[in-house]
Formats: sequence, structure tokens, C-alpha cells
Amino acid sequence: MTMFNRNDKAADTAASPAMPPSVKPDTPVTPAPETKRPQAYAQPIPTGTAPQAPSVSVISKALKITGQLESTEDIQIEGEVDGDVRAVTVSVGQNAKIKGTVRGDEVKLSGTVDGKIEAKKVVLTRTARMSGDVVHQDITIESGAFIDGHCRPEFGKTAPQAKAGAPKANGADAAA
Amino acid sequence: MPAQPFRNLSKPARGREAEILPLSQLGTALTVTGVLDTEGEVQIHGTVQGRINAERLVLGECGYVEGDIVARDVRIGGRLNGRVFALNVTLDDTADVSGRIFHNTVTVARGARFEGRMPWRPPSYFEALDQLPETRP
Repeated sequence: MTMFNRNDKAADTAASPAMPPSVKPDTPVTPAPETKRPQAYAQPIPTGTAPQAPSVSVISKALKITGQLESTEDIQIEGEVDGDVRAVTVSVGQNAKIKGTVRGDEVKLSGTVDGKIEAKKVVLTRTARMSGDVVHQDITIESGAFIDGHCRPEFGKTAPQAKAGAPKANGADAAA
Repeated sequence: MPAQPFRNLSKPARGREAEILPLSQLGTALTVTGVLDTEGEVQIHGTVQGRINAERLVLGECGYVEGDIVARDVRIGGRLNGRVFALNVTLDDTADVSGRIFHNTVTVARGARFEGRMPWRPPSYFEALDQLPETRP
């Protein structure tokens, strides 16, 4: 209140010699504090992060999800998921655990999956641990990866362009 | 200014930790059906149907949550249909909430839409609230 009073007086004294003082005091002083207040209160209390809507999702290592995840973009999982995951590109981090089916165009696995993987392109890195079947078109298995299950290629779903390219690309990997 | 004493009261337990807690982001394209449980922060820009347990939750402008939220700090800029149990709650001007907000301190920005009730609870209520109350009061 003291601030406003001061401003009031300052505005009055400054304005009075030049302009007619009759209109001044009400109009310019009141709207300014009203518009500023809600913003001033709304900003410091929250967490300080400025949410910029990203399309890529990150499930951190501290997060556990029980249920389904569906996305039309990419998902990066470092935490625990008890349920099915469907996205375009799914990358499963080293300490991540998934119990359920992972579907996507591309699945990169460095963690643990207990269930099934269905993807056009599957990459199992050296820390991967896969218990269950892998349905793929193009698979890469690094040495050190653990698989307990069937690897089944499935070419039916894709365009002929993938059919022509896949056998050559697969040759080396599939033989292993 | 009213938020300060409460924050100081409630923060020391896990206060400084909270600033560097692991961050999870659920993008605009993501739909989660089920339970989210984390010790860290969650930013939701997509859709969640189910319960959320977190230390800190930010519901982005595009975000939509249908279900209950339990957290220490909650900031809502999106749509929510359900209940919130949090010490500090902030509704941004883009918020559209219907349900109940159990809070200790609450901030509502001008322009926020809220339908329902905002019952006040003492800090002890939230400390005892380790898990979501299953019953709908």
C-alpha cells in the first residue's frame, strides 16, 4: 500500500503543474498493480521449469509405470514399465526394465525386456537382456546380449522395398 | 509471499534433493493408461489416464490427466479431471481443472478455469499420505 500511495503522490505532484489533475489519480494507478499481481504470484511458487511441450518422451530411472504407453513419437525408457509399449522409436536404457510387449518401427534395447519385441528394426546392445520372442525384419545383436526366446523374421507387413533390401542387410546378422 | 513459510516448513525433509530429482517427460504424442510412480519430477504434455504419484508434477499446456495426482508440488497448465493431493498447488492461466484440490497452499492464476472444491489440509495430512487414498471422499 505504501508503494501505491507514494506513486499516487508522485504522479500527482509531477502531473499537476503541467496537466489538469482531476482525471489522473484513478485511471493510471489502479490497472497496473492488478495485472502484475497474479503473474508475480503464479511464477515463483511452481517448480521453476518452463514447460516446452516436447514430443519425445523420457521415462526417467525413478519412474515406474504400470500400464500401457502409446505414442506416435519416440520414447526413451530408463525406468520400469509393467505393461505394453508402442511407439515409433523405443530405446530402452541400460537399467530399464519392461514387462510386456514392445512394439515400434525401431527398438533399441540396452536394458531388460521380459515379454516380446515386435519391430521392423531391432538392435540388441551388449547389455541387453531379452526374455521372450523377437519379431523383426532387421535385427542387430551385439556380442554380450542375452536372448532367451525365438527370433522370428516377419516380412509380410512391409513394402516390397524393404523386402528387397532386407535379405542383404540381414545376411550377416541373421547368420549369427 | 504466503507460500514462503509453508515451503520452508515442508521442504527440509527432502528439500534440496528435490531440486535435482530425475526428470521424466511425457511428450505430447504419448498416452499412458495406468499408474505412474516416481520419486522425481514428471512433466506431462500428453495424456494420462490413471493415477500419478510423484514428488513434483508439471502438467503442461497440452497435457491432459484423468485421475488422481499425489505429489508435493503440483503445477497445472493443462486439463485435469480428477483429484489432486499436494502441499503446493499452482494453477496456471491455461489450466482447466474439474475435481478437487486438496492443498496446503494454492495459487490460481487469473484466467484459470476451475470447477469443484479446494479443501485446505494441514501439512501433516500430506505427510501421512504415503499412498493414494483408495476411497473417493
